[in-house]
Amino acid sequence: MPLALLLTLSQSVNAIDTEYALKAGFLYNFARYSTWTDTNTALTDFVLCSPDSTFVAVASTVLTNRKVGNLPLLTKTVSITQDDLKQCQVLFITSATVDLWLASSLGQLNNIMIVGESEDFIANGGHIRFFLSSGKVRFAVSPDKLNAAHITMSSKVLRLGRVVDL
Amino acid sequence: MKIVKRLLLGTLIVSPYVIAQEPLSDLDLELDSLMAMDVQVTSAMKRAQSAFDTASSIYVLTKEQIIHSGATSIPEALKLVPGLAVRQLDNNQWAITSRGVASRFSAKLLVMIDGQSFYTPKFAAVYWETLNVPLYDIERIEVIRGQGGLLWGSNANNGVINIITKNSIDTRGVYADISSGSLINHDANLRYGGDIANKGSFRVYGHTRDGDESDKGISLEPADFTEQQSAGVRFDFTPNDEWSALIQGNITQSTLGQNFRGVIDETNRNMSFTDSLDRTDSRIMARVENRISSQANQMLQTSWLKQSGSQTFLQEHFESFDIDYQMNFLYNDLKLDWGLNYRYNDISFAQSSFVHSDGGYNTLHQYGALVQGQYSLIADKLDIILGSKIEYNDLTGWENQPLARLVWKPQNNQVLWTSVSKSVRVPSLIEFNDNYIIDGQRVEEVSPIVTGIDAIDNYYVRTYLNGNDKVKSEESVSYEFGYRQTQHDWALDLSAHHTIAKNVIAISVDNNIEQFLPIFGLLQAGQYDLAMQSLTNTSVNFDIVSNAKVTTNGGDIILTWQPSEIFNAELGYSYNTFDYKLADNTFPAIGYDSTSRQLFAKSNLALFDDHRLFASIRVENSNAYNVDNYTALDLTWQWAFHQNWSVAVMGKNLFAGSHIEYNNTRETYTLPNYIDESVTFKLTAKF
Repeated sequence: MPLALLLTLSQSVNAIDTEYALKAGFLYNFARYSTWTDTNTALTDFVLCSPDSTFVAVASTVLTNRKVGNLPLLTKTVSITQDDLKQCQVLFITSATVDLWLASSLGQLNNIMIVGESEDFIANGGHIRFFLSSGKVRFAVSPDKLNAAHITMSSKVLRLGRVVDL
Repeated sequence: MKIVKRLLLGTLIVSPYVIAQEPLSDLDLELDSLMAMDVQVTSAMKRAQSAFDTASSIYVLTKEQIIHSGATSIPEALKLVPGLAVRQLDNNQWAITSRGVASRFSAKLLVMIDGQSFYTPKFAAVYWETLNVPLYDIERIEVIRGQGGLLWGSNANNGVINIITKNSIDTRGVYADISSGSLINHDANLRYGGDIANKGSFRVYGHTRDGDESDKGISLEPADFTEQQSAGVRFDFTPNDEWSALIQGNITQSTLGQNFRGVIDETNRNMSFTDSLDRTDSRIMARVENRISSQANQMLQTSWLKQSGSQTFLQEHFESFDIDYQMNFLYNDLKLDWGLNYRYNDISFAQSSFVHSDGGYNTLHQYGALVQGQYSLIADKLDIILGSKIEYNDLTGWENQPLARLVWKPQNNQVLWTSVSKSVRVPSLIEFNDNYIIDGQRVEEVSPIVTGIDAIDNYYVRTYLNGNDKVKSEESVSYEFGYRQTQHDWALDLSAHHTIAKNVIAISVDNNIEQFLPIFGLLQAGQYDLAMQSLTNTSVNFDIVSNAKVTTNGGDIILTWQPSEIFNAELGYSYNTFDYKLADNTFPAIGYDSTSRQLFAKSNLALFDDHRLFASIRVENSNAYNVDNYTALDLTWQWAFHQNWSVAVMGKNLFAGSHIEYNNTRETYTLPNYIDESVTFKLTAKF
């Protein structure tokens, strides 16, 4: 990351950054407390992706030097294409990029946890959706959809979310 | 992340006096912490902020501490707060304050549940014994020692206690516990919570308690039993990310035994009684929050409180209705908060044997506005906070409570703050409007002549404590200073204050000596019977006046140590000295020249995977309560023997033996008892 951006982030934290920082923290916990059951390919990194570079900039600061299992956690800005998404274990679609997500017709994406923050995101192909309750970040989750993508989330985390069955 | 820093920064509070947030790279990524954090940086009254950066003497009692301590009531939980004076009168009644002399009727501490005030303008009392909040569903308790006047209104001179309950989205499922022990026959709790479609959540809960009397009374056999039933509900709605709403209500029915004294006949003497009182306390509150943009939000809260009490000589009924609007926003380096509030009180109080009201104050109105700005003079280093609250009340008119604070953060792990503020305490109706019959004065104590006739000299003259509508609001100006530092495994929190209060309530004695002269005349004329009869028409007046001045100096120092994830400890020392300056022929209404010292230690140890040992020890050294100093140890052992089940054994007041904590009986009509050691067993289930 350019040094200037780093400085800006640490000097003045605005509200969007805080919200994204918290959401990045949640994504890290979702990753830590889930199992990717279909492990055909040996991974060297654990990759958190988003098409939104603003989010990725915040997430990379928050998640510096973190690991998921034994794998170093990387953050990447990606385009929403089958090819580009192959490298991702977690994909976060922000409300600014949800139109790109809706416009793409990718079909079933296996082995990728798909998280969003827009209304109806789970109905639109996501597994988890963030929402705000009294200014705090909470989430709704569909364990069935996660399972269909070969991901199992620990009950410790599921219990904290609002479970939706679709 | 440094462990202790996490301990402190992870404790988020609703406080206005804070500097910029932590850099993102220091964010605590534990799920619990993330769930407690607020997305907004606008730091108004209802926004969570880091306790570390707060420019006031604040302590946050976390939900973990409340649960691990095995507290079974709110006052017991408050014993965990260093620097709070928490003194027990009997098994039900308490005197609690900070930076002051605690009284059963202590008017200077503002107590709230989720921002709803429990202040009663009649006595200025908080009925701690009927303040039922399920401890297992408390998010945290924030305690501000010292003046919190600005954002929370009047009568918060000594401090603010805000009990914040959990959002019902975080209390879904079944919780049940049952306790029994040497003082509690049974205490049982049940809660069920769940989702409402995918837009909201709810919980319903009930509580019942049956408690024993104390073992030993001071002058009468103890009668302080408890029978209490309580039920409540909370709904939270989140239609979208911009709007959220909550509605909650609670009703508590209590029958409590007590010993008390009062003057009920022509002997004019205090008589002691053993009796029980019935109280019904209900409350409802609703709040709507709106995030206008990432830089601004607003909140509207309305609440209703109803308290009815009935006992042989006192019938009281009190209702209050509150509506508050607050808005806060961020504009460049300026954070601005403003708000409006209105309160309506309805007080009906049957004329009783002890208390006569002059009337005319069955309803009281209160309204006001506040504005506060926080400006960064040097980004992330130096902030200045200026604000004022102006409020009107029916008794003393318009009152103004300004403050100025400065927060300096020379390094990320150090904060220095200083503040000057003025706060106001409006008189209670007892002080303003009522007449209270108190223990009679003997003729020889109050008259200029001693007759030598025993029946005359030792006659008790009817004595009144008279409220006075000339009484002014107490105004106190407080100069405060604080310093905090965190290191790898320890943290220091230091605060000191110098507070000068004027117009403090005192009691002026008017013996009305002229009234005795005709009686002596009758005696000289040999008309003994007429003289005796005339004596029954005499009275002595203790008039409430507001001409005392009290200077309080003091401070708190708290050292937190967390050498590992499984152990943390806290050591605290608090010191406050109270100096009364009184006009001739007056004496203080609450407290007197005194010094209170408190040494405090707390430790929390996780053993193996499923055991926990929590200990707290308080050394109370004070000459403000007319009792001996005492040292009390509370010890709790918990064992989570199954993923859904746990047991606990709690020992309270160990080593203190049978002791008296509060004996300023002049200030209260309740007669205290000896406080006993106790042991309680508890079984908890969560599904």
